[in-house]
Amino acid sequence: MNPLLSIRDLTVRYDSRHDKAPALRSASLDVSVGERLAIIGESGSGKSTLALAIAGLLPRPARIQGSIDWFLPLDGKAPLGGRDIGFVFQDPSGSLDPVMSIGKQIGEVIRTHLGLGRRAARARAAELIERVRLPDPRAVLNAYPHQLSGGQRQRVAIAAAIAAGPKLLIADEATSALDTIVQAEIVTLIRQLVAEDGMTLIFISHDIALAAELAQRVAVFRHGELVEVGETADIVTKPRTAYTRSLLDAHLGLDAAPLLDLTPPVPA
Amino acid sequence: MNGPLLAVSGLSKHYRRAGKMVAAADDVAFDIQPGQTLALAGPSGSGKSTIARLVLRLIEPDAGNIRFEDADFLALGGAALRARRARLQMVFQDPLAAFNPRATVARVLDDPLRIHGIAERSERPRRIAALLERVGLPTELAQRAIHEISGGQRQRVAIARAIATKPSLIVLDEAVSALDVSVRGKILELLLDLQREEGIAYLFISHDLGVVRAIAHRVAILDGGRIAESGDARAVIDVPRSAIGKALVAAAPKLPAPARTAS
Ligand SMILES: Nc1ncnc2c1ncn2[C@@H]1O[C@H](COP(=O)(O)OP(=O)(O)OP(=O)(O)O)[C@@H](O)[C@H]1O
Ligand SMILES: Nc1ncnc2c1ncn2[C@@H]1O[C@H](COP(=O)(O)OP(=O)(O)OP(=O)(O)O)[C@@H](O)[C@H]1O
Ligand SMILES: [Mg+2]
Ligand SMILES: [Mg+2]
Repeated sequence: MNPLLSIRDLTVRYDSRHDKAPALRSASLDVSVGERLAIIGESGSGKSTLALAIAGLLPRPARIQGSIDWFLPLDGKAPLGGRDIGFVFQDPSGSLDPVMSIGKQIGEVIRTHLGLGRRAARARAAELIERVRLPDPRAVLNAYPHQLSGGQRQRVAIAAAIAAGPKLLIADEATSALDTIVQAEIVTLIRQLVAEDGMTLIFISHDIALAAELAQRVAVFRHGELVEVGETADIVTKPRTAYTRSLLDAHLGLDAAPLLDLTPPVPA
Repeated sequence: MNGPLLAVSGLSKHYRRAGKMVAAADDVAFDIQPGQTLALAGPSGSGKSTIARLVLRLIEPDAGNIRFEDADFLALGGAALRARRARLQMVFQDPLAAFNPRATVARVLDDPLRIHGIAERSERPRRIAALLERVGLPTELAQRAIHEISGGQRQRVAIARAIATKPSLIVLDEAVSALDVSVRGKILELLLDLQREEGIAYLFISHDLGVVRAIAHRVAILDGGRIAESGDARAVIDVPRSAIGKALVAAAPKLPAPARTAS
């Protein structure tokens, strides 16, 4: 498979009083064109830091060592957020402007990066809204973020991220706020985008079962370090580290033993 | 009290959105018994948060009744409402949005103690330390700013604040959804401990059926603002009857079997 990007010895530090250890320590990882890679790990393990570093979106005080090399026809320029990289942020309210209608926000991305006119941009925005399975697309285009539920806002953020047809889609906990039905639909959609539009996916999630359903490879992070990376089936069925094992065990599936002490349910 | 802790009936709330009416809650009825957990599950936009906000009286319904601790909750006002609010607390998904991020943990916990006149000024630092201990946090954390602690710690602070006023019911709206699995497991254990020891009831909103099945006594599954089915949490999730219940369960991501160690 052709490489899309290659990360070598990446270390990221934030300047912070409480946090002397780097947020990411010496991480090396290759991503191929068209692959679906999941990144999992506990809170604070450096998942978002890695994603932001790849997208060139780290906040100003952050210091980076190591390298991220791209294999894209960019004429030596850095890949452009919105056009080359679509990013769905962990906090959807953070990526949407509260005083701009949904249609306008998505339209803006399309006009900036695809150079379409106002009408064409709006038509494409409507298409995208339908593609992320939002009900009543016309009404959603005219709505403002506060008029949508949490999950509906998250789908708008996904639509905006894929609006310009980026090469790489980075989804940071993009489906964590969604119900299982929409989640499954978004997962299907993301698969389709990867297959049809030749997109590459980096999917960050707390949910190891979801990550396993979507990704071909899984990378596990802990305390800023890459603990293991491998084929999804191997990671899930024969993890090499106790840490990955503990993540698998903490998953609350529909067949897990209840935490609540209860006499067995009365048969209805 | 001789009836349920919370009894909701005929609860409706409509919104106008881009010229169209949306039934966010439509003739909703349910009860919660003291010390029990009722989960609200359902797809995105089905009205879960709307019902939470109605029950908390953060918004007013178009129609319906809410009885809480044997009082007509919607008829309360002024001092009576304030007093009753101490018994009905909330924890939301994102505590950063609920607190001033620059406020210290001590300040966040001091507020309810002061506002509801629960402890004298001189006694409050001790109460705050006890609350932190109760939710499993080191007492030194009191002096940290909210933005200087982790998401899991913040959620514990939110729970500490909620229990400060000795509530009988806590509404939790996606309160553990943003937490990683290990932290989530610990927070769920904490909630169950508090329920066992203090008899607190929960209205627990989550789109995660695995979590609902693990901790709730009963569940109501919503669809388009209406309750599609309700009953014993494990019975409903193991064998859903409604179309939406079946679809939600079928779509839940599943780990391949050999991944799980026997527990
Ligand atoms: N802007 C920032 N300033 C200072 N420290 C930060 C900043 N962002 C993250 N950190 C710290 O860097 C470490 C890694 O954080 P990161 O957000 O990458 O973790 P994560 O794996 O995405 O966690 P989560 O699952 O909670 O989103 C943590 O210790 C965190 O506190
Ligand atoms: N202020 C508002 N104005 C207009 N419509 C609203 C408003 N608040 C909610 N709605 C609509 O009411 C319906 C129910 O929303 P609600 O937030 O209760 O859903 P939810 O079940 O909590 O969804 P989620 O799981 O995504 O959080 C949705 O269709 C939403 O768009
Ligand atoms: Mg993150
Ligand atoms: Mg909600």
